[in-house]
Amino acid sequence: MRYELINWKAIFIFLLIVTFALFFFFPFYFMVSSSFKHPLDSSVYPPIIFNFEPTLKNYITIFKKYPMATYFINSFIVATFATLVSMTLAIPAAYGMERLISQNRERIAYMFLTMQLIPPISMVFALFWYANFFGILGTYWLLVIGYTLWNVPYGIWLTRGFFTTIPKELEEAAFVDGATRFWVLRKIVIPLTKPGIIAATIFIFIGAWNEFTLAMFLTDSHTRTFPTTLGLFVTHTGILWGAMFATATVGVLPIVIIALLIRKHFVSALTLGAVKGNDII
Amino acid sequence: MTNLQKIKNFKRGFAPFFAKREYLFYIGPAFVVTFILMFLPLFQIIVGSMHKWEFGKPLFESDFIGLKNYIELNYGYVSFGKSLMKTAIYGFGSLGIELCLGLLIAILLSNMRRTKGLFSAIFIIPIVIMPAMVGLTWKMYLSYDGLVNWVLSLFYIPKVNWMGTDLALVSLILVDVWQWTPFFILILFAGLQTIPKDPVDAIRVDGANDLQTFLYVKLPLLTPLIIIVCILRIIEIIRNFDVVFAIYQGGPGSSTETLPIAVWRMFMSQRQVGMGSAFSLILILLSFFIAFIFINFLKKTRVTH
Repeated sequence: MRYELINWKAIFIFLLIVTFALFFFFPFYFMVSSSFKHPLDSSVYPPIIFNFEPTLKNYITIFKKYPMATYFINSFIVATFATLVSMTLAIPAAYGMERLISQNRERIAYMFLTMQLIPPISMVFALFWYANFFGILGTYWLLVIGYTLWNVPYGIWLTRGFFTTIPKELEEAAFVDGATRFWVLRKIVIPLTKPGIIAATIFIFIGAWNEFTLAMFLTDSHTRTFPTTLGLFVTHTGILWGAMFATATVGVLPIVIIALLIRKHFVSALTLGAVKGNDII
Repeated sequence: MTNLQKIKNFKRGFAPFFAKREYLFYIGPAFVVTFILMFLPLFQIIVGSMHKWEFGKPLFESDFIGLKNYIELNYGYVSFGKSLMKTAIYGFGSLGIELCLGLLIAILLSNMRRTKGLFSAIFIIPIVIMPAMVGLTWKMYLSYDGLVNWVLSLFYIPKVNWMGTDLALVSLILVDVWQWTPFFILILFAGLQTIPKDPVDAIRVDGANDLQTFLYVKLPLLTPLIIIVCILRIIEIIRNFDVVFAIYQGGPGSSTETLPIAVWRMFMSQRQVGMGSAFSLILILLSFFIAFIFINFLKKTRVTH
């Protein structure tokens, strides 16, 4: 074996990775940095990358001229409620599926999965029709119901894997002492699977926060959520890029930070539990 | 009342039914919510697609035309076949590039010793950015005086009109590659870490080089994972409405009119609710079909786990 002073192969791999990472990171950097530029500077050619004086003008515009704070709160309310409702339905269902059913378990799980894979755009107009019929068009509840539909199956699939990891003997010990199954779920199973459940909850929250299709058609001007505000900046004098980048940053940055905090669970959540990616990244 | 009587009272009525089927309390609520709320719209789509139903007209006043909507499948300038073609080009184009690029970067990443964490953190970012904002920011980057043309000009390549009819679909693929290649990177990287050492060592001892090790040992072991990722991606591409809507809204003309955009246009610009429902149902059946393949595949791999 020959030893070299400089490991050329490692340097080459590193440079290649850095190039790719730049490709994926640079558009995000440009979005965030443009939101701090002067409104006229964000769409000049050649683009300004580093040498600009940071201002908060765009942020002042979006919060003073446009009711962006309301939309932010709307988004937060809808996403939080949808996440809570879906998780309260999904956790017992996933637990019951793993512990109380022996036959047809997989069949029921796959039925739920199939429901989750329905494209929202194909359902949105029918949902609109029903909402109109029941008179809940343009309320928070409609969006919460809509998101719950898609997120209950997702939540079941995300949490299913965690419950199988708990030894059955632990639960049986509690049953011998006279505990009911619901008590066991509340006091033993959920505390033991807490990290995974929190990660799954955050995932569903991110999904609900980013959701666009349902929010676009099922909200009115009072209940519109953050992702659907993009149409506001297309004015008759052109698109207000600075304000749009500021809005994007406000909506995206918290999500990116949360996602980076739970990145250990990312791979298994993206593949619906098909891959166990814990502790790899 | 004695204990025996209590038990007897309990055994009457519905109680024993539920006592035996405790799972109903756990799975029941989720099942009822999901399936009832899903089947109501589904029922409406099926019934609506058999009527010549137009926007603003009640369903019971429109004519029943049976399966005529499914036979024609186009109205005005929106046609199903054309948009299926567009979706196929968009889907397979971006899937191919994402798979190759994702596999390459995953391999490079697995060859690195340090700073793996930093890079995988960078690769998470595009996935979690809200799709509507991805579409709108890339609309600016792809404009004639935008970021993409500037980067090209650094390499002395003349400016390209990305928003034109010819290249709109290509630029859509570019955006999709930017957002979803990290998805492939992260999952395939995780898969590469779980490959057992023994077969790799065995072929190394036989004198195989890096490429041979990859082709004959790692790739076959990685294939199930690659198939899972591809199917998940295809499902996502079929339902991808937000990014396409935010960048081009199907335009210019109908050059980026993928299936979800066609559904939207049939409802909103052509105002044909009946035909739009027919489009929706076919879209749903298409994703059911892919889901069926996915589930069968998942079953097979789960058994071997």
